[in-house]
Amino acid sequence: MQLRDKQRIAVLSAYALALHGFEAILPMPVPWLRIGLANIITLVSLLLYDFRTALAVTVIRVTLASMFTGTFLGPSFILSLGGGLSSTAAMGLVHAASRNLFGPVGLSLVGSLFHNLAQLFLAWLLFVQRIGPVLIISPVILLIGTITGVVNGLISSLLIRQLTKENADNPADNSEL
Amino acid sequence: MRKSIRSTTIPDRLLLLFLVVASVAGIFLAREAMPESDEVVIEVDGHPAFTAALQEDRVIRLQSSSGPIEVEISSGRARIKEAHCPNQLCVKQGWVSRGVIVCLPGRVIVFVGGRDTQKKKDLDAVTG
Repeated sequence: MQLRDKQRIAVLSAYALALHGFEAILPMPVPWLRIGLANIITLVSLLLYDFRTALAVTVIRVTLASMFTGTFLGPSFILSLGGGLSSTAAMGLVHAASRNLFGPVGLSLVGSLFHNLAQLFLAWLLFVQRIGPVLIISPVILLIGTITGVVNGLISSLLIRQLTKENADNPADNSEL
Repeated sequence: MRKSIRSTTIPDRLLLLFLVVASVAGIFLAREAMPESDEVVIEVDGHPAFTAALQEDRVIRLQSSSGPIEVEISSGRARIKEAHCPNQLCVKQGWVSRGVIVCLPGRVIVFVGGRDTQKKKDLDAVTG
């Protein structure tokens, strides 16, 4: 790995961590509800750079965030990592398989869907162990995830357009991010 | 932001439509599938630990792996009144008249209204 790649991953991870932390202090009507703002950085990493960058940023973000909050290797860390990995993998696969079919919004929806599916599956497998309650709560979680997925996709789309515009305006300065 | 909305592709919009329709349909299906009953069933560590009528106002104290837990039943609703888990999600969920309250650290699940009716329905089919 080149030094520039490492710097890029470090900067992107710092952004993702900041968003992750910002989201944690936002008041939410339901305590387990998350907007998944950090997924914006994963998506931008995937679309502007490559899958490896997106995956590295996600793993670093989830691991460090759990260390800062003291939940490393705990139940919420397992759910967080499982959701993050499967959403990144799903977005990467869909993006690679269909270059121009889905824009940032579609990819964000795919990511949100697989994030929630993985978390529901892990929660069922490790903690609840009864399919009934998981099936009852699933559609609610998927609907909320769809809404937050669209919001994140639109923000990512906006961010990507701004970043590529800046690079086009000033091609010598594209090493910053 | 308007540009971002306009730049979404047709597959983007179709996927959004599909997810919204599927999850809304899922919410109604889950509601249909959940049988009605007037019982509160409390499970600890995956085993039924307590069953009480939803009509009868009372407070139930149980031992869970994260310490004592208190379930209150009042005017057809139930809530976890007190728990000793770190983030108190189950307590914050408040009153539930139909559904499930889960306390993950204590491994306690409270089913409000409906769980055993499914079994009763099966029995009806046999006897009737």
